[in-house]
Amino acid sequence: MILIQIILVLAFLLLILGFLKRQGSHQLSALAKIFMMLFAAAAIFVILFPDSSNSVAHFVGVGRGADLLLYLLTMSFIFVVLSSYLARKQDQRRFAMLARQVALLEAKIRNKADDTKTTGQ
Amino acid sequence: MRRDTYIIIPVYNEEKVIVSVVKKVLKNFSNVVCINDGSTDSSAAEILKTEAHLVNHPVNMGQGAAIQTGIEYALQDKNIKYFVTFDADGQHSLADVEAMLKYIKEHQVDIVLGSRFLGSAQNLTGFRKFILKLAVKFSNFTTGLKLTDAHNGLRVFNRKVAENLHITMPDMAHASEIIHRIAEHNFRYKEVPVTITYTDYSKAKGQSAINAVNITFDILLQKVIKK
Repeated sequence: MILIQIILVLAFLLLILGFLKRQGSHQLSALAKIFMMLFAAAAIFVILFPDSSNSVAHFVGVGRGADLLLYLLTMSFIFVVLSSYLARKQDQRRFAMLARQVALLEAKIRNKADDTKTTGQ
Repeated sequence: MRRDTYIIIPVYNEEKVIVSVVKKVLKNFSNVVCINDGSTDSSAAEILKTEAHLVNHPVNMGQGAAIQTGIEYALQDKNIKYFVTFDADGQHSLADVEAMLKYIKEHQVDIVLGSRFLGSAQNLTGFRKFILKLAVKFSNFTTGLKLTDAHNGLRVFNRKVAENLHITMPDMAHASEIIHRIAEHNFRYKEVPVTITYTDYSKAKGQSAINAVNITFDILLQKVIKK
């Protein structure tokens, strides 16, 4: 085994370990968990047998395994960017609703204070 | 004095003009709410000098968010029948507001929209005009409505519309969002000519053309997510 394989396999094992440890607080669906495990297993397999990615690439009509990896990486990158953009929009919306309630409450309190001022005179 | 109408004025860094604008409005309307959208100048203190109600956004959230806050504030008053969105920089005319209120009372419509292209837009430069026309074409194409001006800040609407607008677009895209709501709920709408005075002050504060690209992107994205 060459050094890079050891490093990558260890990194993936640590990743999986961290993922499993966090499960308590993460409300991930069962499907997502299975997918993650399968993904990690496939990754470790490809690290140990680099030529296997070539076979898969040939099967789908891509020249090299490295190219296939790049295409998949590009796709997943775009997916991650888009989903985090949407999540941020959703957060903005919720934040706006929260801030609006704060603003309306503050106005209500100020109006009440004004009322007591005028009746007190 | 009209007591069945609420004038909603979103305010962002308008300390120089806000008092004079609000005072003018208060001559005809007793219910005026200014939503200070996290101004970094003394807009809030200026508004407190007047009889207008003040709602303070804790942070800047955009004009759309401010209008929605104003609507929710005004809706708390059960006597209010009509809601008016009015710009803080003095580019709208009160005579137009009166005419629009008269129209909504006398006709079977839910919302009356101001249009610069039915009326006379003063000092509107060629490039701005071109961008606005383009925005209208795009808006009509996506909503199926027939409007001449998609981004006019002057609007008069009834309670039914106020309760159903739910503006979520924080920035200038809210104008398109309102039009989409009209299409979605089949609100009866009418465009009337209004006069907009583009002062140097309002032009300097106006949105840049590049912002139209941002708005278009957000609107398209929202359509994609919904369907």
